[in-house]
Amino acid sequence: MNKVTISISIVFVIVVSWIFYLTNFKQDSSLTVRYYSVGELSDISSQIDKVKVGGYIKPNSIIISEDDQLDASFFVYQNNDSVKVSYYGIRPDLFKDDAEVVVSGSYNNSQISATELQTKCASRYEGDLKNIEKI
Amino acid sequence: MISQIGSIAISLAGGLIFSSFLFLGLFKILDNKKYLFVAERAILATCYSIFLAFFCLLNELLVSNFNLQYVAQYTSYETPMFFKVTALWAGQAGSLLFWSFITSLFTVVYIFTTLKRMESLKFHSYLILAFIFSFFILLSNFIANPFDPVSSDIIVQNGNGLNPLLQNFFMAIHPPILYIGFTGSAIIFVMALAASISKDITFDWVQSIRRWSLFVWTFLSAGIILGGYWAYNELGWGGYWAWDPVENSSLMPWLTLTAFIHSSMIQEKRGMLKKWNFLLATSTYLLVILGTFITRSGVISSVHSFTAENLGPMFFSFLSLLIFYTIFWFFKRKSYLDTDDRIDSFTSREGGFLYNNLILILMCFTIMWGTLFPILSEAWDGNKIYVGASYFNQLNIPIGLVLLFLMGIGPLLSWNYTSNDILLRRFKLPSVLSFTSGFFYCLFTASFQLYVFVAIMGIVFTLTSILGEFFKSYKKQKNSSNIIISVAKMLLSNRHKNGGYIVHIGIVLIFIGFIGRAFEVEKEFSLSPGEQIYFANYTFKLNSIKSEARDNHYAFLSDIDVIDKQNQFLTNLKPEKRIYFYWNSDPEKRQPHSELDIHSTIQKDIYSIFSAYDAQKNLGYFKIMINPLVNWVWIGGVMMVIGSLFAFWPSRRKV
Repeated sequence: MNKVTISISIVFVIVVSWIFYLTNFKQDSSLTVRYYSVGELSDISSQIDKVKVGGYIKPNSIIISEDDQLDASFFVYQNNDSVKVSYYGIRPDLFKDDAEVVVSGSYNNSQISATELQTKCASRYEGDLKNIEKI
Repeated sequence: MISQIGSIAISLAGGLIFSSFLFLGLFKILDNKKYLFVAERAILATCYSIFLAFFCLLNELLVSNFNLQYVAQYTSYETPMFFKVTALWAGQAGSLLFWSFITSLFTVVYIFTTLKRMESLKFHSYLILAFIFSFFILLSNFIANPFDPVSSDIIVQNGNGLNPLLQNFFMAIHPPILYIGFTGSAIIFVMALAASISKDITFDWVQSIRRWSLFVWTFLSAGIILGGYWAYNELGWGGYWAWDPVENSSLMPWLTLTAFIHSSMIQEKRGMLKKWNFLLATSTYLLVILGTFITRSGVISSVHSFTAENLGPMFFSFLSLLIFYTIFWFFKRKSYLDTDDRIDSFTSREGGFLYNNLILILMCFTIMWGTLFPILSEAWDGNKIYVGASYFNQLNIPIGLVLLFLMGIGPLLSWNYTSNDILLRRFKLPSVLSFTSGFFYCLFTASFQLYVFVAIMGIVFTLTSILGEFFKSYKKQKNSSNIIISVAKMLLSNRHKNGGYIVHIGIVLIFIGFIGRAFEVEKEFSLSPGEQIYFANYTFKLNSIKSEARDNHYAFLSDIDVIDKQNQFLTNLKPEKRIYFYWNSDPEKRQPHSELDIHSTIQKDIYSIFSAYDAQKNLGYFKIMINPLVNWVWIGGVMMVIGSLFAFWPSRRKV
């Protein structure tokens, strides 16, 4: 191997090792967040600093504060389990009952304080025949 | 009737493509060229059948045939004609047919141009193309058929219509442009494999695959930039890139293809790096399929992924077979792909290209690792762990900055070897200007940021280096008194190289836009008419909130004056909160939409969102973002595409 190849290989090994270090599976990295199913969360009573949860907004569960329209709480469900989520900030336009959402934040007292709320991207809006106007 | 023809055309395409395998088999066994010819005709007929199916679906969308599930799901009588056309790729079934349609277009061009000159590649090209086609045709026939009728127990009065967010010109053209890039990479994949298997890698082949690559790269780049532009101007989160798995899926093949375009130049000039180029050319398409697997499998939770039909296992099997086939032939042809030449000098143009390749591949690896991390971590210990934007930024910002400098270093290096004297002479001006700019940044900045400092130096270094190259060529060409003619002659004298430099300038401009991200600020607040708020050296005064019923939505219209710190009126912003389908008694069917208003200048954007309205209190909720330099991202993106088009178009050279 010539010196160019050796140097390139060394750089590659260093950077890849750095990537592995940053995302170490067992390390509690500031760059990673664990994904929980709603069912998993309902069995946990302790506090978790960082969680990411996906599911659907439970119909009629959205409560928007009368004092501040940016302050909202709702339940996210998956199968038969649900978890309460509180969120302060601008809500995405597609946020409504039964919308598919991904929330990230902290978990405490059986509820998520979300710092991030995303709805399914509009570009993946799968029209549903149940909504079609029928004769 | 037309829908039946479309349905039959898809089935016919299936029959034809499987017959091509039979003829290819007969050619191999009987060594009779007429079977190869028949196989070619079968593949062409498959393409024509797909064209027919595609146009049948287009017709059904245009005439609003709601007897078809797909048409009823994505259009309504109210959908404007233009968006009825774009509904072709709005859903799973349509987009898969659209994918096959573009692949067919490329296949026809490939057969009638490239393969006309490279007869030896025909057999393996047809075999691989037939395999790719058969997969997509199977999906369109059995998993996601756009000609599936609605259930017999319902008669649809009107369709769903297209989501208002998708009724945007840039969103309409973003997917097809990206798809052209994605599907075009199949031809690069086929060419790389066919030439290696047939042991027929010629100079003509290298030139041809490079031209295909430039074409595909142009569309991939344009598609990625358009996606960002749409997200920024329509989605209302003030950004253009979120490191979402689907975004990453388009970036990964772009990176490997960029690496291939550079390293194949070494193969073209010196016949080196055949193995490496084989891997880059093939991995581009493999990454496209990996991305499609991520998008359509639901295996990674993304706000972008399709969920209606789970195509994951199918795409995974397809991807596995392609990888296996590629690896098998890579090892089988390893000795053929071996080259004797070695890159001995760090300070050579080849070395520069190699560093560039290393950086691009590292970037691709970090993105792939981050994107697939949830799957890997779950396989490791059962915990699904996601990495956020901070992971991608932490790794890719420094890697990207190295790439920025490399774009400036490359043009200063000579092929084979650059002596120290020459190196010193060529580096002098870019280095001096670069350090000067860094010095001035330190002098005038209120809060020092390392990445901004390095980026400014990199931008100045690279711009000086490239403009210096242009100036050198200009001096050589300068034989006319008219400066415009001289510049045009200079640019046209080596379109390939100069096109590349224009692309690099485009990327430098994009980096200017990236610097702006370090200075973004935002604020959410509520105001009643007559009230004002001071933020980021501007006063935002809400004049009024009015409401208005329009053709297809109800709008709350805000009116905000922006006054600068000299107390001068700067602009008026009118962000709106719209409710589409507001007349519908079912609240589920009403669709709120925030129509942004952006005061956009070359220095900064003032980005306003009207997020909510409390009618009882007459109180509006707003978000204002100050996004510096963001327009440079779009200017750079346009320049990138122009440069790439300039490099490969127009030409008398063969495809």
